[in-house]
Amino acid sequence: MTGSGVLTRIEACIPALRRYAAALLRNRDDADDLVHDCLVRALDKLHTRRDDADVRPWLFAIMHNLFISQLRRAKARPAGESLDETHESALSMRPDQENALQWRDLIRGLNALPVEQRSVILLVSVEDLSYADAANVLGVPIGTVMSRLARGRERLRQLTEEPEARPVLRRVK
Amino acid sequence: MSDPTRPIPEEDLHAWIDGQLAPERQAAVLRYLQEQPDVARRVDAWRDQREALRAAFAVVAAEPVPPRLELDRLIQQRLERRRLPWRAAASVLLAFGLGGVGGWFLRGGQAPPAAAITLLAQQAVANHVVYTADRRRPTELGAQQRDDLARWVSNRLNHQVAPPDLSADGYSYMGGRLAATPDGPAGLFMYDDPQGVRLTVFVLPLNAAATMPIQHVDFAHVDGCAWIDNSVGYTVVGKLPPPELRRIAELVRRQLG
Repeated sequence: MTGSGVLTRIEACIPALRRYAAALLRNRDDADDLVHDCLVRALDKLHTRRDDADVRPWLFAIMHNLFISQLRRAKARPAGESLDETHESALSMRPDQENALQWRDLIRGLNALPVEQRSVILLVSVEDLSYADAANVLGVPIGTVMSRLARGRERLRQLTEEPEARPVLRRVK
Repeated sequence: MSDPTRPIPEEDLHAWIDGQLAPERQAAVLRYLQEQPDVARRVDAWRDQREALRAAFAVVAAEPVPPRLELDRLIQQRLERRRLPWRAAASVLLAFGLGGVGGWFLRGGQAPPAAAITLLAQQAVANHVVYTADRRRPTELGAQQRDDLARWVSNRLNHQVAPPDLSADGYSYMGGRLAATPDGPAGLFMYDDPQGVRLTVFVLPLNAAATMPIQHVDFAHVDGCAWIDNSVGYTVVGKLPPPELRRIAELVRRQLG
């Protein structure tokens, strides 16, 4: 008999789920569709979970799995590489012109990363998940989370600080 | 055991940025960063990047949640989807005479009060029979999710209701569910005693304004007590001796009235 039930705790996660979805997807409507599907799935699976378990990683895992299967389905379709409205609109919220430019580079850089690195960076940096929770969400070992995080952050740093360094990043190992 | 000249693994640098580094390793990381300005510059850049990403997406989390993502609405849609097979089950019960014509009577408030009680009790007994017989999943939300169920049922019934506490009479709360009746949604709360005898409390808001005292209702296999308070019908059903049922009904009435 906790003061706040599981539904209340799920509800408290919705803003963070929307944030993560918006950061992953290029379009805000698509992002909210993903959150919608995630919540519907969570309600369907509600009776299968232990009440004392943390709902946050559970919800992020559901959403991540939906996102991945969506990516697989969309693979045949050509990917739009243009800077999306989502992030432009997020940027436009900031009046400071210089910051806006820096942020645009940041978001461009983020979108240029492979999705595995992008999701780790977002889960850890923005959503404050522990490395162990991020590993559960993504279904990979914790060591993989660490190496993706390290590679992703360094690559993003190079992309934002040294735009001329881009060709170097394309080299094939 | 730590060798001060040994380079710090990159994972430790990220864990330090993310506040996830074990406390005993922090001193070594700080020392390393002081000795290695190039590394320190990179670490600063990663940290700035982390802060910039948080700031960039903070806007989204601060927005109000759009109506289509509201949890209460999603729960309602889900129930409506799932209610369809149950409607079929209800029509079977109707065919066997259990459902009766309660919907029409209770909605219109046309039934004589005694009949209204009987019809209310029929809905309660039908749900009692179906759900207490279910060994695997008698309830939709279990005892752990008491608050959620209270919120969900109250929301659907448009009437504030929470599972009563019957532990004083030796019945522990198992959980509950939203039940379907021809008169709309009802709340069903289930209890059992140490011998596993199951008892249900059924709450159904009625459109007719009425109040009726607790009455005993007798069905073939189970007994019940039903009453109406301020247009809300209540029933306690179980295979219990009538005096005991009556005592529990009074307990429920005190708690839910």
